[in-house]
Amino acid sequence: MADILLEGRELTKYYPVTKGLLQRVIGYVRAVDGISFTIEHGKTLSLVGESGAGKTTAAKAVLLLERLTSGTILFEGKDVYKFSKSQLKTQYRPRVQSVQQNPWSSMNPRMRVRDIIAEPLVVNTKKTKEEIRSRVLELLDQVGLSPDQADYYPHEFSGGQRQRIAVARALALNPSLVVLDEPVSALDVSIRAQIMNLLKDLQEQYNLSYLVIAHNLATVRFMSHSVAIMYLGQIVEYGEAEALFLKPLHPYTRALISASILTLPEDEDQNVQKIILSGEMPSPLNPPPGCRFHTRCSEAIDICSKVPPEVRTIGTQQVKCHLYDDPGVQSASSK
Amino acid sequence: MTTKRDIVLQVEDLQTTFFTRAGEFKAVGGISFYVREGETFGLVGESACGKTVTGLSLLRLLPEPAGRIVGGKITLDGIDILKLSKKQMREVRGKRISMILQDPMTSLNPVYTVGDQIGESVRLHQGLRDDMVEDEVISALRLLRIPAPEQRLRDYPFQLSGGMRQRVVGSIAMSCRPRLLIADEPTTALDATIQAQYIALFKDIQKQTDVAIIFITHDFGVVANICDRVAVMYAGKIVETASTSTIFKRSKHPYTSALIRSVPRLDRKDDQLYSIEGQPPSLLNLPPGCRFAPRCPDVMDICLKEQPPVVEISEGHSVSCWKEKK
Repeated sequence: MADILLEGRELTKYYPVTKGLLQRVIGYVRAVDGISFTIEHGKTLSLVGESGAGKTTAAKAVLLLERLTSGTILFEGKDVYKFSKSQLKTQYRPRVQSVQQNPWSSMNPRMRVRDIIAEPLVVNTKKTKEEIRSRVLELLDQVGLSPDQADYYPHEFSGGQRQRIAVARALALNPSLVVLDEPVSALDVSIRAQIMNLLKDLQEQYNLSYLVIAHNLATVRFMSHSVAIMYLGQIVEYGEAEALFLKPLHPYTRALISASILTLPEDEDQNVQKIILSGEMPSPLNPPPGCRFHTRCSEAIDICSKVPPEVRTIGTQQVKCHLYDDPGVQSASSK
Repeated sequence: MTTKRDIVLQVEDLQTTFFTRAGEFKAVGGISFYVREGETFGLVGESACGKTVTGLSLLRLLPEPAGRIVGGKITLDGIDILKLSKKQMREVRGKRISMILQDPMTSLNPVYTVGDQIGESVRLHQGLRDDMVEDEVISALRLLRIPAPEQRLRDYPFQLSGGMRQRVVGSIAMSCRPRLLIADEPTTALDATIQAQYIALFKDIQKQTDVAIIFITHDFGVVANICDRVAVMYAGKIVETASTSTIFKRSKHPYTSALIRSVPRLDRKDDQLYSIEGQPPSLLNLPPGCRFAPRCPDVMDICLKEQPPVVEISEGHSVSCWKEKK
């Protein structure tokens, strides 16, 4: 287990909800409620879920942009919350970088591309102007832009090119982990493929680890080594990507896959019927008792509304569902 | 499926141009298509390919004076829409043709209740008394299967979830039982499972009301789920029109094939995604020949010089490519 880069243990983030003049706390939004995951060197973990599942909060926690209510983040085995300010600045932040979803708002429109990419170097290193200059040109080349574009402003680029600039900026400090928050969802289909291929190539070249936040399962399958499916602040299924997509265990994972798979009208009768969930995700302010998914689950049984399910390990997958409590039931339900 | 249904909308050689200081911006460069009763017709393409402008042109809602329809003909149930006066056009909008936009948070008015907003269109087009308006509003909410419509109509948009808001937008669009519904990326802002709900709901509503739907989207997954026929647009032109299964299985235009191949699939593992190099051309400065030629893997000499004609290669399948002309 030596190749684990980052580990999240029982991460929890509650946001207080206040009311009235005195700002009395009337409840907590349980954005992230006890999730654990590991990211290995050179591998990709994807957090998948719909809006409100808590995936962005989890990413913010890893970037230390949000202080957790409880839980620990271990980076190369060391507790990040025990780092001093200067240790964070030298040992953590430069090594954990991020690429944001929207390349139109993640860059200062008044800065030249050269300066945008150079900024992390200026802040974090003592490189000379000449060194920075050559590093910027090197980075531009790595992400497939030409050196003469260095003096342009962001508005002079298309969405795909801007996302390349954002990737170059994230790579400037040779990070170990890059948090990619919906890296391609703001881009056009034909451009998405270019950026996803680029990210994969860079990962191989530099042995980068990625934490991908995404809602599009097809994107996730292409990018990931392991996947965590989130629902209402919890991970309901977690495992090696291929196994999870070939044999999804949790009813929510199955519904998500069914909703995103491409079926042509004439194939519909032969293929498995589309699973269409009823209702919507309940409020994280007041999650349902028992299994949080039971209000929308077509396979819910009595116990689901009363007792929260434990995590079960089946093969390489971990699943949080009562259907797998008893090994006998398992074969019956997963036909 | 045996008899052909009536054609609701026929578009012939529609051209829409924006006159800007930088020059003429040919957003839609001469496209033709038709939609039948009870049919869903997909307009698919990437950003800036002219699909939204096509939708706005059909409603004559272009931002004037910059945007103008400079040529072509739009016929709705035999009526030439481009010849109608502004007042007559107002009768058509919302009643015979209605539209659903992408983001329900910006297309609903935050300071009016849901009931007021649905009622507005009912009142305008059906001239009903106030007490009858409410019944119509409730039936419109029921059509979109909004639970407890009697209570919901007093809610403001912010009190509803994204999926419910988009259903309210759908209720407004369907409240006068239009002949044609233009849905511009209606599911893009929704989550995957909610998107699946919404699409299933619309299939149902179409069965009940026989409305013709033009579905504008960039998402091939959505196309496969809802559309009967599809037109693929590139830089203001339709490059290929065919039934949905033909588009997926036997597409002939290099752009269509490339676009479908570049979409990551959930049902298989790809090691490398196919990607189309380069960018779409600027609509201010279009290449003289085929608009896809600069990015096309099968480009020939003639492609760079002359625009390819639209060729019908089998019934209902037409392609605009020099490869097929030979």
